Amino acid sequence: MSALTPQLRELLTALATSMIPGGLGMPSARDADVGGRLLDAVLVARPDLEAPLIALLEPLAALGDPAEAERRLRADRPAVELFALVAIGGYMMHPAVGGALSYPGQQPKPVNPFDINDVVDDGLLDPVIERGPIYREVPA
Amino acid sequence: MPAERPDVLIVGAGPSGAVAAKRFHEAGMSVLVLEQGDWPDYGRARAGFPDFELIARKEWNWDPNVRANGGDYAVDCSDSDVTALMYNGVGGSAVSYAAHWERFLPSDFRVRTLDGVADDWPVSYAEMEPYYVEVEKQFAVSGLDGDTCLPEGEGPPMPPVPLNVVGRMGAKALNQLGWHWWPASNAIATTDYGRLHACVQRAACPFGCPTGAKASPDRTHWPDLVAGGVELVTGASVLRITTDAAGLADGVEWIDRDGREHAQAASTVVVCANGVGTPRLLLASGLANSSGLVGRRLMMHPFANAIGIFDEDLESWRGPMGQYLHSLQFYETDRARGFVRGAKWNLMPSGAPLSMVLPGLWGDELVWGAEFHEQLRARLGRSLIWSVICEDLPDPSNRVTLGGASGPGGMPGAALHYRTSENSERMMAFHLDRLSEVLDVMGAKEKKLSSGIRDSGWHLMGTACMGEDPASSVVDRDGRAHDVPNLFVYDASVFPTSAGVNPTATVAANALRCADALVRDRNRQPVPA
Repeated sequence: MSALTPQLRELLTALATSMIPGGLGMPSARDADVGGRLLDAVLVARPDLEAPLIALLEPLAALGDPAEAERRLRADRPAVELFALVAIGGYMMHPAVGGALSYPGQQPKPVNPFDINDVVDDGLLDPVIERGPIYREVPA
Repeated sequence: MPAERPDVLIVGAGPSGAVAAKRFHEAGMSVLVLEQGDWPDYGRARAGFPDFELIARKEWNWDPNVRANGGDYAVDCSDSDVTALMYNGVGGSAVSYAAHWERFLPSDFRVRTLDGVADDWPVSYAEMEPYYVEVEKQFAVSGLDGDTCLPEGEGPPMPPVPLNVVGRMGAKALNQLGWHWWPASNAIATTDYGRLHACVQRAACPFGCPTGAKASPDRTHWPDLVAGGVELVTGASVLRITTDAAGLADGVEWIDRDGREHAQAASTVVVCANGVGTPRLLLASGLANSSGLVGRRLMMHPFANAIGIFDEDLESWRGPMGQYLHSLQFYETDRARGFVRGAKWNLMPSGAPLSMVLPGLWGDELVWGAEFHEQLRARLGRSLIWSVICEDLPDPSNRVTLGGASGPGGMPGAALHYRTSENSERMMAFHLDRLSEVLDVMGAKEKKLSSGIRDSGWHLMGTACMGEDPASSVVDRDGRAHDVPNLFVYDASVFPTSAGVNPTATVAANALRCADALVRDRNRQPVPA
């Protein structure tokens, strides 16, 4: 169980939704539940991120001002890179996101080892071969 | 238990160590290999799963300071323009390379003679050629013979990876411009080959190939070598090389993963610990440095890329990664360009989405707000990457020293001191201008050109330079330390120059050539009493 409190999760959700609003057929970070089950999935994959994420969010939450929290986050390069990794990394795990992008994940498709025959038959290499060697002769 | 005193003790189980161990073993010599890391855990190779990129950014991260596995040591890059990247474990940095397999060109061995800069190698392309042929078989290289950038000769054992839509677009554009290209060589199986399986194009080569198609020594060499009797000890960090009263290397002191220190005798010591790890060990041992050049002349191939974004769906999240094709049109020196030497280009798919919207290879800006979806849709599957590998000329002030946090046994870390030269800056700018032309011909609707990318020090070379003169080099033409006649270095540390192509083919071929020399001369080889 993650040590991230509901308050920190809500702040993460709010900031992530500013980064990833809904649109173009894509859910927002809040609609995708980036601060909930997707965050849990991120931290299962990357437990090393939990402590630095809490350290990042706690002082921002203490501000009590989401707009100021966003301003400070975006001004802190290492912090915003960590935040983006968690937020976008979680968002991309939502099945609706891949579906909307027509992206099935890194699914396999065996190579065709005979593709080169078509390249040769199509004459793609002919001009290269016709120009001849381009390497530089060196003294023996 | 390791042999009491093996004929050869190799430090490091990467490509050079693997090739050398195979050669020694085949010659009947006893071989002990000490590897500081562990076997790669392909259970963490997650291509095809939703958490693929998140896990890849930790488990398969190129930066040892981020990955922080058991075999990693601290590398302080705060005084370097470029971050040193490597994999410390069985297979070495080939575990995380993109498998681009490039022979050096004949001119690369004669830079001083041809261009009046840097140094010639003490060996020629003709001498290296049979070793290239042999290691291409060992590393399951796929490609097409007849490339006009190389002398005629035997090519790779398997046909090349398919060009796919992306490669054909690139080939047609280069044809239109009248520029060189050729289907690229990769250490990626395109048919089942030995222990490897044919590639299934998950675009995961550097991030843990889950298919077992990419050649790295943990798959191509070590299983058979270990089964055949080579002793490979993992979790074994070498602290120093020891010498006897006659000044010969007589073994090493090493520390295991539980913190126990060991002394291991050996007749011969071969260091294969990469361009940072090798000088770190030599400096920590106080050996082989009468020239003062151990750690100096660090070269890292200044890196640039040109990303093209297109309207049409290229399915470019898929493919070998891996290179579809390469071009060496502007490889040789033309001083009218304002710099010497040149660079290789390669064309790759752009892969999975996370990197496209995070700062890094796609640029430093953070995608935020309404543009997030626009950018993601525009880039995913509709983009491709041209990369530029620039020749890096040796400069003694670019160097590796001991530094950074110490590890187990008090072993110091390494520190890099490196500045990108003006020659390299001009070279990157020229090549990006040419690639911008290529992207225009290809019909890109948007171009992202980046040079001097910091996290790009994949190729670590030159820090124990090979040469005939002990005053200006660390090892001789066969990798033997001038100062210690039974201490050898076989990795890219020995490169006098870097060429402008990926180095693993030459690392492996040169290691085999050097190992061959040691086998040939072993009856004359001095060893400790």
